[in-house]
Amino acid sequence: MSGVGPIEPGEGTTPRDTPDSLDVEGTSRGSGHREGSPLARLLATHRRAVLAAATAVLLLAGGGYLYATRPHESQPAAAAPPFPSQVVDVTYLGGHAVPPGTRPRTFAFDVLLGVESGPAVTVTRVSQPYDGLSLTSAPPTPFRTRAGSAREIVITMHVTECGKVPRNAGLPFLDVTLRNARAIQVHSYILGPRYAQDLSEALQVACSNDSR
Amino acid sequence: MRQRSLIAITAALSAGALTLTACGSRDSGGDKGSDSGGTVVTIGVDAPLTGDLSALGLGIKNSVDLAANTANKQKFVEGVTFKIVAKDDQAQPSAGQQNATALVADKSVLGVVGPLNSSVAESMQKVFDDAKLVEVSPANTNPALTQGTDWAKTKKRPYTSYFRTATTDAIQGPFAAQYVYNDAKKKKVFVIDDKKTYGAGLAATFTAEFKKLGGKVVGTQHINPDAKDFSAVATEVKNSGADVVYYGGEYPQAGPLSKQIKDAGAKIPLVGGDGIYAEDFIKLAGSGASGDLATSVGAPVEDLPSAKEFVANYKAANYKEDYAAYGGYSYDSAWSIIEAVKKVVDDNGGKLPDDARAKVTAAVQNVSFDGVTGKVSFDEFGDATNKQLTVYAVENGAWKAVKSGTYSG
Repeated sequence: MSGVGPIEPGEGTTPRDTPDSLDVEGTSRGSGHREGSPLARLLATHRRAVLAAATAVLLLAGGGYLYATRPHESQPAAAAPPFPSQVVDVTYLGGHAVPPGTRPRTFAFDVLLGVESGPAVTVTRVSQPYDGLSLTSAPPTPFRTRAGSAREIVITMHVTECGKVPRNAGLPFLDVTLRNARAIQVHSYILGPRYAQDLSEALQVACSNDSR
Repeated sequence: MRQRSLIAITAALSAGALTLTACGSRDSGGDKGSDSGGTVVTIGVDAPLTGDLSALGLGIKNSVDLAANTANKQKFVEGVTFKIVAKDDQAQPSAGQQNATALVADKSVLGVVGPLNSSVAESMQKVFDDAKLVEVSPANTNPALTQGTDWAKTKKRPYTSYFRTATTDAIQGPFAAQYVYNDAKKKKVFVIDDKKTYGAGLAATFTAEFKKLGGKVVGTQHINPDAKDFSAVATEVKNSGADVVYYGGEYPQAGPLSKQIKDAGAKIPLVGGDGIYAEDFIKLAGSGASGDLATSVGAPVEDLPSAKEFVANYKAANYKEDYAAYGGYSYDSAWSIIEAVKKVVDDNGGKLPDDARAKVTAAVQNVSFDGVTGKVSFDEFGDATNKQLTVYAVENGAWKAVKSGTYSG
């Protein structure tokens, strides 16, 4: 406007007219490099491209920083599978008739074992806590159950010593050893009053004088 | 060209500014959340915030605070901002009743979390029920609170406004008995309680099951909850020939009792319920506590994937006190009220109805959500449907989980 020409070079003009617009090593030291450095010449020749690239790098760096330091809560779950005891349900279904010819003092129950979520769970052992009672399961352990499915298990018990079984425990349970990709756990499943009553009745019958 | 340069520089500066902004706005977890709107709903908290049991009470208060802040931050209920009002009952029934009356008088209170002690709950239940104000306890375990005094024979719910997320002593006592008799192989027990609703009730459910299993009760005694000198009882235990002591009560007495029993020469474990499952028990009981046992409600937090976020957020919030034994249950108790408020507001066109308290109480009965402690819902008595328990043992000066169980009856 003042007749000294455009403050900024026009399209296609070289940046040699404005050598200080970039503070690049070798351009501001006042040596002969200002005009002669290949890097400076490259920058001077491709000023717009360099600016655009620098902006892109900054934006990418900013974005990268934002991504890398985003709040932890928004990160996808670390995907550690749940502990098996937290996804397995064991519920009591009822008594199960033992086949004719089964040895005396033997009785059986049906329970339902379900896996709610996570990886498949393998049952490696089913037991009960009383010294005078032995236990087997069908299917026999180990058996595997996938998430979202449940399987019926027949628990067969045999009284080995009547003096070592409680006849009327209020809260009997089964100890079930569970294994999945996360852990192996022994968990007690307290099957409730109906199981307590059925177990108690079965023990009374098994250990009555008539059955000896 | 200048314009282009300016655009480029502006873009670069913007990126930097965004970066800095991100640094500044990093979620601290400790902020108080943002307002969700104009209506303020207060969640009352009643717990012992001072005195011997304050370690548990403050964990309850902080966890409810975290739930309210989380709901506000998430704008979980559009147009509603939650706040908490915490009252100290000092573990005294009379103070609890006064607090209940004060909370009822505050019309912004639509639900209360607490108390810690079953004896305190007994004094509060009717006050809340008369006002149709819902109460959700994270810690009460006495069965009578939900199932009536004759619960062992006929269950009858006394108050429809009372709920709890903790498992009851109808399960906790027998579970402990099973562990002591079958796993720890202890056959002769000396039973002591503090004569309070919780302690005496828990001792009774333990004793009944221990006897059914074939165990022998070689002595019983009661202690005064205000006492610290239990040397006479300790001598009695020593002379009884017991191989285990069961104590129904809380850690301020259980710790010294355990120590004095060992000092008297009876090197036998003391077993108790959730009332002694606290770090302070180990401090009070000293090095002789190794091998002492406690049952507590729920599974160990580290076993619960659902608790991971709670633990992280609690830590980030920088509360002074630990969330302690009932933190997860307190958060879930508060969240059941928050869920109920949401349901009531949603059903009423986005606003609270005039009879909000009654409607929130009714809605709590039907809540169902994935909480810190697993699935949260209530049965017809107001008891939690999720009933898990864990046996802990003192090992190397800390509680260590040794067995967990789930009630599915």
